[in-house]
Amino acid sequence: MDVVTLAVAATPSFIASSVEFVEALTIVLAVGTTRGWRAPLVGAALAALTLAVIVAVIGVALVTVVPRHVLQIVVGILLLLFGLRWLRKAILRHAGIVALHDEELIYQREVAELRAQGLRKNEWDWVGTVISYKSVLLEGLEVAFIVIAFGAGGASAMSAAIWGAIAAGVVVIGLGIALKQPLTQVPENTMKFGVGAMLTTFGVFWSAEGLGTEWPGDALSLFGILAIILAISWGSVRMLNAMLPSGAQVGARNV
Amino acid sequence: MSKTFSAIWENAYGLLVDDGSLALGALAAVAITWLFAVIATAAFEQLGGGLLLVMICVLVLANLYTAGRRIRHTRSLE
Repeated sequence: MDVVTLAVAATPSFIASSVEFVEALTIVLAVGTTRGWRAPLVGAALAALTLAVIVAVIGVALVTVVPRHVLQIVVGILLLLFGLRWLRKAILRHAGIVALHDEELIYQREVAELRAQGLRKNEWDWVGTVISYKSVLLEGLEVAFIVIAFGAGGASAMSAAIWGAIAAGVVVIGLGIALKQPLTQVPENTMKFGVGAMLTTFGVFWSAEGLGTEWPGDALSLFGILAIILAISWGSVRMLNAMLPSGAQVGARNV
Repeated sequence: MSKTFSAIWENAYGLLVDDGSLALGALAAVAITWLFAVIATAAFEQLGGGLLLVMICVLVLANLYTAGRRIRHTRSLE
């Protein structure tokens, strides 16, 4: 695997997947610490199995069967939509208009809800299994999408993206087992900002290349596009700060 | 059954769309880029990517400016 493939597929896949794994880990930890570990671990394992099947079937089929330029356009458009959604939310968070994502708060809220539901002894904890399965599957679907998107460049890129996501899972789950608490120290909001910019960058790159553009420097131009997207995002945060100096105090709902 | 399909659709839609106008704008930008590719194939090879990038940047700025104005207007009414 060459350095460029590693840089443009494995690294963004690792960073983006880490964010999703942190969110899934918070819910599994909340279920495990309040209701016992067997049910949430079974739920998480079942979700992981479902995701492996999704990535294997859709990902491999996409890369091997669908013509490259069609794949680039479809994945590019999906990435643009997915990335712009992340980027917009991240910009609004950094401008203080939307509340920052707080894993500790989510964890405490989830624990309180699970405790309120109670637990019957000698029965399989279906509530714990289902909550764990659902959260791992939903966050994992985003990981699957990220892997497929970053791996759309071909078999080598797909392999790099899968390994990036696996590495993220190992690191996040390892830290979760070691610390036994939500990973509140992970700079999640900053990472989400970066991931939104990266996804948008890939969306622009794949869409235009699929339509027939030749980017100067090919994959290396990704770094230039990313720099421009980051600059625009930074400018947007400054613009919103200037327009709304009181930021989060605005308490906006429908932005 | 319809509830399940509805939940799947909502999840898939929510994964991609947070603000409808931004999503529509992105689709329009890709459509304009495609039109450019059809009309001026030779120029598109060199300029198509830059055109799409500029449109996406303008879209982000315009969308957030509109959001900022909307919030400021809401606050002025309170």
